[in-house]
Amino acid sequence: PSHSYTGQGGQESEDYESEEQLQHRILTAALEFVPEHGWTAEAIAEGAKTLGLSVAAAGLFHSDGSELILHFVSECNTKLSELLKKEQKLVQLGEAEKKPIDEFLRHAVEARLRMLIPYIEKWPQALSVLLLPRNIPSSLNLLTSMIDDIWHYAGDQSTDFNWYTRRAVLTGIYNTTELVMMQDSSPGFEDTWRFLENRVADAMAMSNTASQVQSTGEAVVQGLMGAAVTVSNAETSRAVR
Amino acid sequence: VYQVFESVAKKYDVMNDSMTLGIHRVWKDILMHKMNPCPGTLLLDVAGGTGDIAFRFINYVRSVRQRQLQRKLRHNQNLSWQEIFESYQKDKFNSLGDSQVVVCDINREMLKVGKQKAQHLGYSEGLSWVLGNAEELPFDDDKFDVYTIAFGIRNVTRIDLALQEAYRVLKPGGRFLCLEFSHVSNPILSRLYDLYSFQVIPVLGEVIAGDWKSYQYLVESIRQFPPQEELKAMIEDAGFFKVDYENLNFGIVAIHSGFKL
Repeated sequence: PSHSYTGQGGQESEDYESEEQLQHRILTAALEFVPEHGWTAEAIAEGAKTLGLSVAAAGLFHSDGSELILHFVSECNTKLSELLKKEQKLVQLGEAEKKPIDEFLRHAVEARLRMLIPYIEKWPQALSVLLLPRNIPSSLNLLTSMIDDIWHYAGDQSTDFNWYTRRAVLTGIYNTTELVMMQDSSPGFEDTWRFLENRVADAMAMSNTASQVQSTGEAVVQGLMGAAVTVSNAETSRAVR
Repeated sequence: VYQVFESVAKKYDVMNDSMTLGIHRVWKDILMHKMNPCPGTLLLDVAGGTGDIAFRFINYVRSVRQRQLQRKLRHNQNLSWQEIFESYQKDKFNSLGDSQVVVCDINREMLKVGKQKAQHLGYSEGLSWVLGNAEELPFDDDKFDVYTIAFGIRNVTRIDLALQEAYRVLKPGGRFLCLEFSHVSNPILSRLYDLYSFQVIPVLGEVIAGDWKSYQYLVESIRQFPPQEELKAMIEDAGFFKVDYENLNFGIVAIHSGFKL
């Protein structure tokens, strides 16, 4: 239901804001407090405060921070899309060189993962929340649309891979790199970017073999299982620390 | 209504325990959990007479505050001893994190019992007791973060006025929470519940509190109270958003929640 939103001066502004838009604004404001409070109702409460709302507004959301995390992931994906679109335009206008496929994938994944850096300390916590059964449909959805997006902007070079493998391969690369990044303490995350380079190179080499479909599927499943174990280990070791 | 509660005040807690077989404690705990208040919250508990919700609130924010302070200390592990000492001193006197609860009740006797309980249980800071009418609250606009009314709204003559007052005194973003007896839709359970209410409760009232009539009144007022959907509509009429309810024990009790957005 739309209603008039009372602005700072107590004056009724002409902008009608829906509940959803207001919730959106609260979550965006809450992100600033995540490094300190984690992905929690506390961060959301602090965010609400900066908008001039009562801390009780955090009650609009789940206490485990699910919505906040999903909101963040969705925002990051949007930012990535916009970045890739901008770069594509530059290539079309002839102002930039078209990247070869392996470089393009590396660049896209790195750009997306770099968005995690300000929140990296609390990201393992977020990953475990995203793996909750309740959240899996949404988080899986966000992941696959991001991966599809990257392939879309990769252009026609991507016909080397068949459609199903493309998704699986890049998902595997992204997830494993993300996990490596969680454990990485090297300066500027150089270990992570080197890992990424190697994985992409592997994928390129693999695309030349005929049995890729089945083996990739298996590899990805194993990768995700390993991922789940790594995340839970990371969480436990973090809690102990 | 006033006289009912005057006679009932002293035995209120005992009667609650026996009527609901102690489950009312669980219901109130669930309410607090749903509220999930963070330190710094200002709560108004209306018709909160004997302080059950207020004490739970204080316990809750105190433990959240403890965890906050522990986390801060862990973060500060690289500081010098002097700095740690200073930060500890600063937070030591703020165990509630500036949270406060105002208990408002129309009945002086209920407040008296509440104050005595508070003293007895050792609750001193963050509590105030105010005499007031839910239909006309003695508070300014936009003051409170959360407004609760637990088992009190059915005793209000003009529920719509009470809801309007709740809306008025809440800050933008503030939350309205109502814990109240409601309607059981399951027919079997409903019959058992009726049997229990009309046969057992007034008897308990007579035996424990020496007052059959008041408890008969209580049981009847529960039946007359609007069901979940109707109350939800009334809350929306008062201007609240994202109004919804949660049934506890199949509808014997329901928690309604709404936000002032």
